[in-house]
Amino acid sequence: MRALVLLMCAIGLVQPRIARAQSVVAEAALTGGLSTDEVSAAAAQARLFGDLKNGIRFFGEAAWAGRSLSDDDHDTDSFNAAYPYTNRVQIIEAYGERVFRPQGGLAGIRAGRFRTPFGIYNASDHAYFGFLRAPLVRYDEYSPLSNSLLEHGADLVVGVPQLHVEAALGAPADVGEMTRRSGLDAVVRLQGYYGALIAGVSYMQTPNSQLALDSSGRTRVTGVDLRWMHAGVQLRGEWMSGRPTGEPSATGWYADALIHRPRMGPVTAVVRIERLDWTDAHAGEKEFLSRQTVGARIRLTNALALHVNALHETGDDEYLPRALDVAVTWTVRTP
Amino acid sequence: MLSRPGSLERAVFGQSAGDLHGIARAGDSPARDAVVWLEAPYARPPATGAAAPRVVLDQRNLSFIPHVLVVRVGTKVDFPNNDRVFHNVFSFRDGKRFDLGMYPVGARRQVMFDQPGLSRIFCNIHPNMAAYVLVVDSPYFARTDESGAFTIAAVPAGTYTYHAWRPGAAAELTGRWSSTDGGLQVEWP
Repeated sequence: MRALVLLMCAIGLVQPRIARAQSVVAEAALTGGLSTDEVSAAAAQARLFGDLKNGIRFFGEAAWAGRSLSDDDHDTDSFNAAYPYTNRVQIIEAYGERVFRPQGGLAGIRAGRFRTPFGIYNASDHAYFGFLRAPLVRYDEYSPLSNSLLEHGADLVVGVPQLHVEAALGAPADVGEMTRRSGLDAVVRLQGYYGALIAGVSYMQTPNSQLALDSSGRTRVTGVDLRWMHAGVQLRGEWMSGRPTGEPSATGWYADALIHRPRMGPVTAVVRIERLDWTDAHAGEKEFLSRQTVGARIRLTNALALHVNALHETGDDEYLPRALDVAVTWTVRTP
Repeated sequence: MLSRPGSLERAVFGQSAGDLHGIARAGDSPARDAVVWLEAPYARPPATGAAAPRVVLDQRNLSFIPHVLVVRVGTKVDFPNNDRVFHNVFSFRDGKRFDLGMYPVGARRQVMFDQPGLSRIFCNIHPNMAAYVLVVDSPYFARTDESGAFTIAAVPAGTYTYHAWRPGAAAELTGRWSSTDGGLQVEWP
């Protein structure tokens, strides 16, 4: 808790200075939530990003999160979307980048600590509903991918806005419960768009998780993602397949709709269906998790948002079949 | 010398035009990002087609830059995505209604603002992003800086009806200004 106070004090100290610099933004978000999965959680995020000299931009994010599970008889991934629940402040991202636009082309380089650029990976995508659950394919226990995967390295983008290749090379620098072993890590992503439809294909080859029985092997993950948005309706989907812990493969997908039509006022609705299939490493049996979610984010004020999600799950007895998550997020931003 | 009914009463075209300097305040504080414009129904019409003026409302660092944009009727506004994430720019309330769909980093969309009025601009992915595009039917307009100061360039001598608007204000200010008055001070209570 002391670390959180220090974090918020740091934002307070920075705020008056950055208020004079239009090109630098400071953001802080505090969230508290409850779930019928017998979970309560609190988290804080602080971000500082903007422009430096010579076209170089920077981005930094630190986070603190704590979570309590009052019922040890079952498992849950409630409030598992965007935070490492380590009860201490951690640097999530810290990088500098430069983007070039040579004659309509697109080129960029990023260096530092950043989220693994696989599929739909930006914080603004999966933290869109702030505090609620990540898709099963981005849930680190059974899936080969996690929202908590981070890289220490460099990321290159080459192409045109309509079609470009992104390649990242570095070393795993994960936070949270599932971390990868040390070694070289490579991600390649091809992305294109036509009108409001954006499609991507990603491939990652990375050292196995610390949980893997095979310490020397490598995890390979392939993914396809699609999204389309118009008139306040965003449709998204991801499919991916890989080996989560160096053992037999896991394959999963999700499709969701985020809806914010003019007549909905402060309400943004979400509907998601998803499924993850994997083979249990020890028993050798095929297992699955399937989930349907209906939820909403309601802007109570410019700074305050309420999140509500109702879920139905099948496939794993360790998870309760139904859950209701409720969270409130307070955000402050300067300028 | 022209002398016509309406708001432009004693404009003297052909005489040397001068810059109008002024300041906008809201109570005791400078009114930043306020817009001041002069009615000018007899001003030369804006260029159209390919010659139509173009200005940029940038998307960068999860913000629209500038926060307030003022343009003349008939202006094309470019909305480039120079950020690190996707954006979906739209406006559905007053003024020009449009939805540019989602587009990635490096892409650019364009909107022609062909009617006067205020458009509130948002991003459907990032609810904290907001901006205003105020479209005026006059070539004489300006946006205030951080100190509330503004300059309207090359205003022909004459008497004008002025309007002033700022984000969050309940009402638009209106008044009279003559080039013989010198500077213009607009004040919200």
